[in-house]
Amino acid sequence: MDGNIEFTMGLSQGLAWPWPIAVYLFFAGISGGALATALFIRFYKKQTTNTPFYKAAALIAFVTISLGMLCLVLDLTNPLFFWRILVYYNLNSVMSIGVIALSVYIPLVALICLYAFEEEIRSVPALKVLVPVIEKLQGIRRPCEIAVLVLALAVCAYTGFLISALIRFPIINTSVLPALFIASGMSAGAAAAKMLAVSMFKEDLHSQDMKLLHGAEWPIMFAEILFIFMIVTSLMTGNAGAQSAFEAFHTGQWAAVFWFGVVGLGFGGPLLLNFATGKAFSHSAKAFYLSGVCAITGMMCLRMFILYAGQIFAI
Amino acid sequence: MSENIERRRFLKCLGASSLIIAPLGCSSVKEGESDANKPHYAMVFDQNKCTGCGDCKEACNLANNLPEGKSRLLMEQHSGGLEGQPCPHCGKTTECGCERKFVRVSCQQCKNAPCVTVCPTGAAHRDEKTGIVTMDAAKCAGCKYCIAACPYDARFINKETDVADNCDFCLNSKLAIGELPACVQKCRYDALIFGDINDPTSYISKLLRVKDSVRIKPGFGTEPSLRYIPIVKLGV
Repeated sequence: MDGNIEFTMGLSQGLAWPWPIAVYLFFAGISGGALATALFIRFYKKQTTNTPFYKAAALIAFVTISLGMLCLVLDLTNPLFFWRILVYYNLNSVMSIGVIALSVYIPLVALICLYAFEEEIRSVPALKVLVPVIEKLQGIRRPCEIAVLVLALAVCAYTGFLISALIRFPIINTSVLPALFIASGMSAGAAAAKMLAVSMFKEDLHSQDMKLLHGAEWPIMFAEILFIFMIVTSLMTGNAGAQSAFEAFHTGQWAAVFWFGVVGLGFGGPLLLNFATGKAFSHSAKAFYLSGVCAITGMMCLRMFILYAGQIFAI
Repeated sequence: MSENIERRRFLKCLGASSLIIAPLGCSSVKEGESDANKPHYAMVFDQNKCTGCGDCKEACNLANNLPEGKSRLLMEQHSGGLEGQPCPHCGKTTECGCERKFVRVSCQQCKNAPCVTVCPTGAAHRDEKTGIVTMDAAKCAGCKYCIAACPYDARFINKETDVADNCDFCLNSKLAIGELPACVQKCRYDALIFGDINDPTSYISKLLRVKDSVRIKPGFGTEPSLRYIPIVKLGV
């Protein structure tokens, strides 16, 4: 007898989570991804100085997570209620755990910025008050950096866990989503930090750090493609609900966002710019910035696609 | 030799850590575990009796002071005929209104409620005494996580209070003063039955023992407490 009564109306009238949440997922991914790559390089190459890439990553991580928080607060039905989320906790809720992680992550990112810009702060008279603070905290720099590395990855993964808990959306309710969000966060975060390091902090286009990043880019992109492929095949071969959600990949405007934005720009763009053009062009600054912009746009399209197509194709 | 000691130490650590970690994994009690001593309030919607008059909706709005145009329940009309084909009853191909069926759309009062699990502040919670899923408006931050998580799309934002809202069987309005939910009271056709299904002598328990009833989308595993008695067609 089960299942012969259904209703299709709803009380909420419209999508529960609109674009500001997608933008938040995008910013949180860039913030965590940029800082995680910078710290990986720092630990891997045992760097002790503040490299241009480290500075750029710290700055980007702080700015993007702040903007992300702004999106999150403005998306509340009443932004003035935001304090309630900081005062009341429910440890069964992924969001609550995320709030705890973010409330440690954000101050630590600010601290990493202080470490990274020590020289700049010393040279500005108005910021002289910060110098003794930085000197005092210099002793705990290493443990802070390790903690931030863990938290940066946690923030990327958390954005995936946050939405994968929604059981009625087959595209969103998949276990690989956190892994996909870590991979795409790292590729877009690294691309953003790379561009800032070259343009603002005068990093050489062909320095050691950049070479290492270029080498790491392709395996990360391959992982991303693999995770997306896993989601698509599991929907295609899944139960009736999953199969109807598979439509999102071939019908409607969100299918276009997926194929042109995620696959075309995000994956095709950097691949073509690096391997299909002449050596002179692919090593130029123009190709460097273009492929960076492609990677970031692709990531934004991915978040938009998952959130919108995911919510539209509900069971 | 040294390898052996290493291995022994590793196994010791493994044993010790499993002793610590295993109870952690087991101690997480599934939310809403049945407790026979506590009441389990449920509602039955009888599709055979509902005429779609909408009195239940009006009574609900009045009892719970909901803003204009919002309500905690809706009636969805199902027609017997298939679109584009002539109605088997009167032969018209346009909307004829024959064989009207109605379905109550409202909070399903799940035993395993996703909204309660995901709510970051504990605003969407289970009332301690009655086990009914309800809202603590003073705690709700308006994040809409519960709305996205509800498999029935049965929650909404109350425009007046800016917080999420759901049908809670009139927990804070009618039940609080010892009355039945407003919709149940108002229904002229006895299409709604409310009561405690943990009490074997209650009318709802007796009814569910003899009548077939269904739950909406049982595949989600949320175990709704709202049950539906579908129209069973007899003859031609």
